[in-house]
Amino acid sequence: MSKVFQQSQGYKIIEDWMASKANSPFKFQEQTWTKYHNGFSGMVVAPTGFGKTFSVFLAVVIDYLNYPEKYKKGLKLLWVSPLRSLAKDLAKAMTIAVEEIGLDWEVAVRNGDTPTNIRRKQERLMPDVLIVTPETLHLLFSQKKNTRWFKTTKCVAVDEWHELIGNKRGILVELAMARLVKISEDIKIWGITATIGNLKEAGEVLIPYPELKTVMITAKEKKKIKVVTVLPDEVEVLPWAGHLGKSMASKIIPIIHENNTTLIFTNTRGQSELWYQIILEADPDLAGLLAIHHGSIDKKLRNWIEDNISEGNLKAVVCTSSLDLGVDFKPVDCVIQIGSAKGIARFMQRAGRSGHSPYEVSKIYLIPTHSLEIIEAAALREAVGERRVEAREPMVLTFDVMVQFMVTLAVGEGFKANEVYDLLLSTHAFSMLTDDEFAWAIQFITQGGNTLKSYEEFHKVEQDDNGIYRAKSRRISMLHRMNMGAIVSEAMLRVKFMSGGYIGMIEEYFVTKLKPNDSFVLAGRVLELVHIKDMTAFVRISKAKKAITPSWLGGRLPLTSYMSHFLRKKLSDSLNPGIRERELKFLHPLIARQSEFSHIPKEDEFLVEMINTKEGFHLFMYPFEGRLVHEVISALIAYRISKIKPLTFTIAMNDYGFELLSDQEIPINATNIGEILSDENLMDDVIASINAAEMASRKFRDIAVISGLVVQSMPGRNQNNKSLQSSSGLIFRVLDENEPNNLLLRQAYTEVFNQQLEEVRLKEAFKRINKSKLIIKESNTFTPLSFPIKVDSLRQSLSSEKLDKRIERIQKEVYKKNKK
Amino acid sequence: MIYAEKQILIQEELLILNNLRALFWQRENALIVSDLHIGKSAHFRKHGIPISVNVQHNDLDRLSFLIAHYKVKKLIVVGDLFHAEVNSDMDVFKIWRDQRPNLEIILIKGNHDKLKDIVYDSFDIQCCKKELCLSPFKFIHEPKVKGNEFTICGHIHPGVSIKSKGRQRIKLPCFQVSHTQIILPAFSEFTGLAISKKQKSTSYYAFTQSSFFKF
Repeated sequence: MSKVFQQSQGYKIIEDWMASKANSPFKFQEQTWTKYHNGFSGMVVAPTGFGKTFSVFLAVVIDYLNYPEKYKKGLKLLWVSPLRSLAKDLAKAMTIAVEEIGLDWEVAVRNGDTPTNIRRKQERLMPDVLIVTPETLHLLFSQKKNTRWFKTTKCVAVDEWHELIGNKRGILVELAMARLVKISEDIKIWGITATIGNLKEAGEVLIPYPELKTVMITAKEKKKIKVVTVLPDEVEVLPWAGHLGKSMASKIIPIIHENNTTLIFTNTRGQSELWYQIILEADPDLAGLLAIHHGSIDKKLRNWIEDNISEGNLKAVVCTSSLDLGVDFKPVDCVIQIGSAKGIARFMQRAGRSGHSPYEVSKIYLIPTHSLEIIEAAALREAVGERRVEAREPMVLTFDVMVQFMVTLAVGEGFKANEVYDLLLSTHAFSMLTDDEFAWAIQFITQGGNTLKSYEEFHKVEQDDNGIYRAKSRRISMLHRMNMGAIVSEAMLRVKFMSGGYIGMIEEYFVTKLKPNDSFVLAGRVLELVHIKDMTAFVRISKAKKAITPSWLGGRLPLTSYMSHFLRKKLSDSLNPGIRERELKFLHPLIARQSEFSHIPKEDEFLVEMINTKEGFHLFMYPFEGRLVHEVISALIAYRISKIKPLTFTIAMNDYGFELLSDQEIPINATNIGEILSDENLMDDVIASINAAEMASRKFRDIAVISGLVVQSMPGRNQNNKSLQSSSGLIFRVLDENEPNNLLLRQAYTEVFNQQLEEVRLKEAFKRINKSKLIIKESNTFTPLSFPIKVDSLRQSLSSEKLDKRIERIQKEVYKKNKK
Repeated sequence: MIYAEKQILIQEELLILNNLRALFWQRENALIVSDLHIGKSAHFRKHGIPISVNVQHNDLDRLSFLIAHYKVKKLIVVGDLFHAEVNSDMDVFKIWRDQRPNLEIILIKGNHDKLKDIVYDSFDIQCCKKELCLSPFKFIHEPKVKGNEFTICGHIHPGVSIKSKGRQRIKLPCFQVSHTQIILPAFSEFTGLAISKKQKSTSYYAFTQSSFFKF
């Protein structure tokens, strides 16, 4: 560290302040302060709990103490955080620090919850530090004369950048940075992130400005993570998902009692509702000490739960990714993950929620919900040991966000075309934007489309006499502000008691399948539907013992490619497990059976199983690439086989593999399997095998909302804009017929290829399969690997009671055959 | 124009379902349609959502074809003729209307038809506030659950959903025919579909661009 800086007054004040609290700065904090002092922008990479907030925040404070004359009245530090719930606690921590240090700074929060009078006050004089979400920042851009607020800003910090970079909210941040760099002359940009696989890229995406000096500061401190796999009493050699769960409840209860506060993570909202019931049934004494927390529970209730975790009043909380991030709960000293976490980054993030203070060990228990997940546990342990974390790929050329941003500027101060074009080009996301594409966007917001004549009366943005593009109509400005942002939610209904009081939200899709008097579970309560009115489902407490757990769409997380790599490796190791591989040793009976009746694929092998049963001819393949990719591969394989012989298939899949079932023999053998799995003409065959238009139409939903083509209906205030309601599917059709060159349509197809088909990953998977030794095994009974896929396909067509009986029967049949 | 027809006998009257989204009643020489939503695309454009004028043109082209094809004397609209305010789409409709002075147009007012009487007068449209009775049928806008008379109505934009392999689903508009009523599909193509649960006593005549399917 430079002597000059160390002797500066600002540094000494902070050092003294920390010493007064018996604290000393971490090395990465000091590095950040020094680099900031020397005029750098950059990225701080640090695990949670090591004071990464104070790395950037105090850097600005020190600089202010050293050079007060450089700072003007108004906004000095703009803090962008993805989570609203974080803002309150951040502001509290910063305010305390500022007071103790003896600064007269005001720290304030601005987001959707900020009351109008406070907002107006802020607009008159901005606080010194303002904490916002990406959406609120853009809302500020849509106000008249907003430039003046940011002229004085010296630093903008982007917190939890790893959460933003891979999605469209990240694009909102990129665009905001570009604008701030243009407004404030000597602004510095600092990103704060957890470890991700592509840190260097993440830095370049946030700060692509040649005029800014950048640096990456990585904390040496590492969070110690202790991973414990909870093994069931015995191995079930024919495993199936969801079955093991209940019997594991008895193992969860002691863990809850041994620790102060436990967070129990599940992967979907539906599962969290189920597990809340299971745990309460296993230990009724936990009533009142056990809570449930997920994204569809009413905000007030969630806040209440969060407060009670902080105060240590709760023994355990069943939650989803809703608690992945956010406030640090001091009392939490234990985390339980139920089922596979599907990704290394997510798993580490969740583990980090316990043992929050530095140097404390994070404890995480893994509860497998079926035997094969025990292999996943072993894979996770190895991955965590190697700290191999997934990359978050930034999105590019998202025209929907670009169009929204341009209208935002037009609603705000108005813009000149060439200036916005330069601004867009300076970002990472739009650096490849062409003249034509930009011209299209201008045409889209001013004329509606290619030919003026087709869009009579359209007016959104107009060019005034000075060449400035503005939104003139008040109503259009209002509509735009209401629709801003890049988060598009499913059509949701609010759930409300007849007697008043909100419980949460539920998908319209689920509710429409219910009849009045049907019971369902939400927020841990069994509710009975009374009637639906104005986007609200009215309910009362039900006396029913059994009820349906709602399914929320999009709840299924796919396995990441890193995870699948470790998974294949572990499976390959499993025949000869190392001494310390407790999980693999435990699984021996299952592995042995798979090996005896079929084969355990080595890392350089690809397993194909052909199984004949009374039901028909099954073809199983195991790419281990996750459900989404399997959806594509299975359709592709079905297509290629049907070119040899026209067959109809039923298709089923899980994260490990997929099944094609036909009533006729499937013409696959050692000679043609190579061709079926070839990577030649891969993408052509994929396109021929799927309905790309249908997929694109689904993708178009978000695009239509973000670009303002569809006015989003808000639960609770649906009465507005009724005459403007339309579905994205309808708009997709109309555009497809009348304006096939629309860039937003093109974007929908691009997103299908990048996200749904995961083109890159698919190609790599086929490359790997082509290099692998292909192994075909025939069998007349289900194998441990194939069985869970079979069960999943049954689940779709049978009710749960029938399902149990059916599975029992299959299991018995398999055992009988083996005895012969 | 390509079209498909389906003849049905209801209350001893011959009715022709046409996949161009209309119903023809032979004895009265009447074409019955519902939910034209004229002015919807312009209403969207006015609010900054670009929907092409072609949408309106296509709807009117279809209507022109049907009227010429069946030599229609009387056009009965069972509600939602106009979507919202008076706008440029209505000018297009005005020209269309003026070209057919001999066509009688009767509108049973729907929830969207809230314009002043002089507007309807200027288009030479007879309005019925609630219903129109032309034995053996009663024409209304919103489907009714009870009552003995056979009703012909619209409003809900009925459709059916056909599931196919791999989570894919096809939605088609339909005529929903029960023993007490016919619910017409929305005439305008710029409308969504309401997929309802299948009921045993009801027939669903779904259609594509070239044919009818009965469910």
